[in-house]
Amino acid sequence: MAFLEIEKVSKYFPGSNGKGAICVFKDVHFHIEKGEFVTMVGHSGCGKTTLLNIIAGFETPNEGGIVLDGKEITDPGLDRMVVFQNFALMPWMTVRDNIRIAVRAAYRQWDRRRVGEYVQQYINMVGLAGSEDKKPAALSGGMRQRVGLARAFAVQPKVLLLDEPFAQIDALTRGVIQEELIRMWMATKNTVFMVTHDVDEAILLSDKIALMSDGPEARLAEMIEIGIPRPRSRETLIENPDFTRIRKHVLNFLVERSRRVQSEPQISSALSPVGSQFSSTEVTG
Amino acid sequence: MPGCDDIANPAGEFLVAQEQPQSPESKFPTNSQSAESPLERVVEYSVNRAIFGSELGRREFVRLAGAGAAAAIVNSIFPLAAAKALAQEKTGPIEKKQLRVGFIPITCATPIIMAEPMGFYKKYGLDVQVHKASGWAMIRDLSINGETDATHMLTPMPLAFTMGVGSQAVPFVMPAVENINGQAITLALKHKGIKGPQDMKGFKFAVPFDYSIHNFLLRYYLAEGGVDPEKEVQIRVIPPPEMVANLQAGNLDGYLGPDPFNQRAVHEGIGFIFMLSKELWPGHPCCAFAARKDFAEKYPNTFQALFKSIVEATQYAHSPGNRKEIAKAISPRNFLNQPVEVVEQVLTGEFPDGLGNIRKVPDRIDFDPFPWHSMAIWILTQMKRWGYIKGDVDYKKIAEEVYLASGCREVMKSLGYKAPATNSTNHNFLYGKTKVFDPLKPEEYVKSFAIRKT
Amino acid sequence: MNGTVHFAKVKERQKAWLISLLFLLIFLCFWQLITRPSTGGKTEGLPGPFAVAQRAWEMVSDPFYDRGANDKGIGVQLLHSLGRLAVGYTAASLLAIFLGVVLGLYPTLYRAVNPYIQILKPISPLAWMPLFLYTVKNSAWAAVMVVFMSSIWPTLANTAFGVISIKRDYLNVSSLLQLSWLSRFFKVILPAAAPAIVAGLRISIGGAWIAIVAAEMLIGGTGIGYFVWNEWNNLQLTSVISAILTIGGVGVLLDAGFARLAKNLSYTE
Repeated sequence: MAFLEIEKVSKYFPGSNGKGAICVFKDVHFHIEKGEFVTMVGHSGCGKTTLLNIIAGFETPNEGGIVLDGKEITDPGLDRMVVFQNFALMPWMTVRDNIRIAVRAAYRQWDRRRVGEYVQQYINMVGLAGSEDKKPAALSGGMRQRVGLARAFAVQPKVLLLDEPFAQIDALTRGVIQEELIRMWMATKNTVFMVTHDVDEAILLSDKIALMSDGPEARLAEMIEIGIPRPRSRETLIENPDFTRIRKHVLNFLVERSRRVQSEPQISSALSPVGSQFSSTEVTG
Repeated sequence: MPGCDDIANPAGEFLVAQEQPQSPESKFPTNSQSAESPLERVVEYSVNRAIFGSELGRREFVRLAGAGAAAAIVNSIFPLAAAKALAQEKTGPIEKKQLRVGFIPITCATPIIMAEPMGFYKKYGLDVQVHKASGWAMIRDLSINGETDATHMLTPMPLAFTMGVGSQAVPFVMPAVENINGQAITLALKHKGIKGPQDMKGFKFAVPFDYSIHNFLLRYYLAEGGVDPEKEVQIRVIPPPEMVANLQAGNLDGYLGPDPFNQRAVHEGIGFIFMLSKELWPGHPCCAFAARKDFAEKYPNTFQALFKSIVEATQYAHSPGNRKEIAKAISPRNFLNQPVEVVEQVLTGEFPDGLGNIRKVPDRIDFDPFPWHSMAIWILTQMKRWGYIKGDVDYKKIAEEVYLASGCREVMKSLGYKAPATNSTNHNFLYGKTKVFDPLKPEEYVKSFAIRKT
Repeated sequence: MNGTVHFAKVKERQKAWLISLLFLLIFLCFWQLITRPSTGGKTEGLPGPFAVAQRAWEMVSDPFYDRGANDKGIGVQLLHSLGRLAVGYTAASLLAIFLGVVLGLYPTLYRAVNPYIQILKPISPLAWMPLFLYTVKNSAWAAVMVVFMSSIWPTLANTAFGVISIKRDYLNVSSLLQLSWLSRFFKVILPAAAPAIVAGLRISIGGAWIAIVAAEMLIGGTGIGYFVWNEWNNLQLTSVISAILTIGGVGVLLDAGFARLAKNLSYTE
């Protein structure tokens, strides 16, 4: 059994003004192994954030369910920590307190001193030493998300859920933070599920990319395995021919095929690091 | 049976001789030259009365024997110092020493108010604080809640509350009337030419409370003048302290209200005194001293002590010679909070009437504690007449339950004052078709009126 | 550059102060002019600023005297009024904040309860007084309850609004962290809604102060409202005006206190 199983999940939203319910996505089904970094990519409205919310426990699926480590998920919890697009830091708390509240929630038995040391550790880890007592309003977008990352990693969750974490950060800073995220992930080996628009970012960070077709009634169209060895860096990745190929494939999907993949069965294609075979069940056209 | 001449007070016989008004100092020759408290002067006063029977008698004696000898002789007959000490003794152990007595700042409450600064409560072993209330509704609530132990009330109020009219039914007892007379119809200056009720159609009047002698007297006056008080004028309830301001603001054409607010209107130059209430019903009761029945039953000794202090204060206030001193004691902010000259004009009965005349009416306000049952019955007939009470009324029974005439007689006698022999009497009016009220025929009286509600 | 900007700001503020003082001066002159001496009879007419200032000075220089149950210094009266205000206001605020949070978190409940709130809100607190006197049977507590009724609604409405407006993200974080109800209430909900709550508290205290003065005019006893009424009975307008100014002054202080609190609890998102 896989670590995190998304089992034939469908989500409907109630229709407005007497119209029938709208289906956001249907029968989404995939697995994530422990320690894997999986990213979901798709157009707006394909329900990827909704799926993330379902995994997080903020929403419930209409059909199917989520199973983590053998147990079904119904509510939010510390075992599935989220990093939010809007950072979601408490603006009335300092950087330190924002992380503290999470640590205290995760480790209720720890005494003050231990919590304090632990929090400081993570502050240092994300490079915010010296800004502990600032309020979020005094920080840039990039710094705020570092706090978000520190908070999420500090509770050592089973699954880390990243909801377009760098969308609000300027392009220059984004790259730096992406590499920090990789660094932290490689140190902790969390299982990660991320949602993003940024194709380059997906390829840089993930082991697998799940491609969602357009909504309504979106499907999981493809599961691409990124065979590029780690550690990956932005500078060198550009040179890598596999990167270019995968990128082209994904972009092609997003531009052309995502619209047409309504009735296709779900597929999973594996790309070997060398060569460009596609599995025979892939449908083209 | 007191007749029309005895208009000062129905129970005229206790006044032995007419006394010249004098300042307090000359009236009370003292053995010691040191400043005496009003209490001690009161004791002396009582002793001198007991020995000489009157102020005239005492002065004659002093003139004959010389002041020093007179003082010594008095002392030998009756040790004044001991008497003063005696006066401090309690009448049975007081159950509740610290009391709160509610009042409204009007001259009707003079005995109740003056008893604090002038020491009458203290004389009977009570520690009383008089508590100023903002209006009669508040007085009602404070006394029903028990926040005051005894209260200044309008004479109809204990009757109404015992019957459950205008409040929840709570039995009250009224041991003493505070003042008789002392009210007036005051009109705004613009109504200078008014002659009588016929000129008052369409007026806006104020009275202190629905269950007040003012309401009933005003209605009586208008009705006997052929004006229906329900339909042809407006009668509003306004707390007495607010009457002058309302008159000034033009909200009212006039009011039948208590003093000092009639005199104050003259003082402020906004109104004139049209008619004194004693010109309607000489000797009419106005305000009273009342307590919840269960208070009187639970604390009988305390109640007796209160009863005595109030009756004595009332008698002291009755004497014209004491009026100026009293005016000074009750005018400060803690009590009436009115200019002293206004209060003096009311109490002494020498006053400008607002039309340029100075009048001298010594019994403009008077103080007589006796709570005649017949007064209660008159009030009840008027309450029936105007629909405040409906159905059959056992006039006699209610009057006897609430107005403690017999009890008052006992107290008056024990203090050395003469009290009327009977509990009921006919009352004489100076105005109206039926000039004599017979308390034995209340229903006929109600039916005899041309204008009434029921 | 900074220096000139700062200087310009200071100049602006000084200008505002000067204009303010000018208004006051004009008003005082106007007041002095319209207060005529006697118009015949003994009418004082409206007292002028000097008479009022004199009386105010008298009152303030001996604020704690006690010459009997019905005559006490202005300081004593104010303390009594503030005491009643404190009790009624604190009780009302605690209840309003608690209820407001509950209603804010459960919109269905809010919708159900809202019609009753709308009916009760516009009722003048003084109109409740006879009912309170009748049921509570104690005039001092009736006055406190009048304060209670006038302090509860603005705080309740603002708290509920503040809680409803809390960004979803904060609530999501608190559920992620599986915070206890108590932790969530004190660490997330209250601080998030604090600016709205304090705005409500600030409006409430204004209303409560107004109500207590009016209630005391009806009830009597000791208090600044009773003081005004007592002085009015004797047509001592200098005292009445001085008392009015005192009441206003206290109101300003109360409001300023809450303004400071609002500043401390505000946050930028």
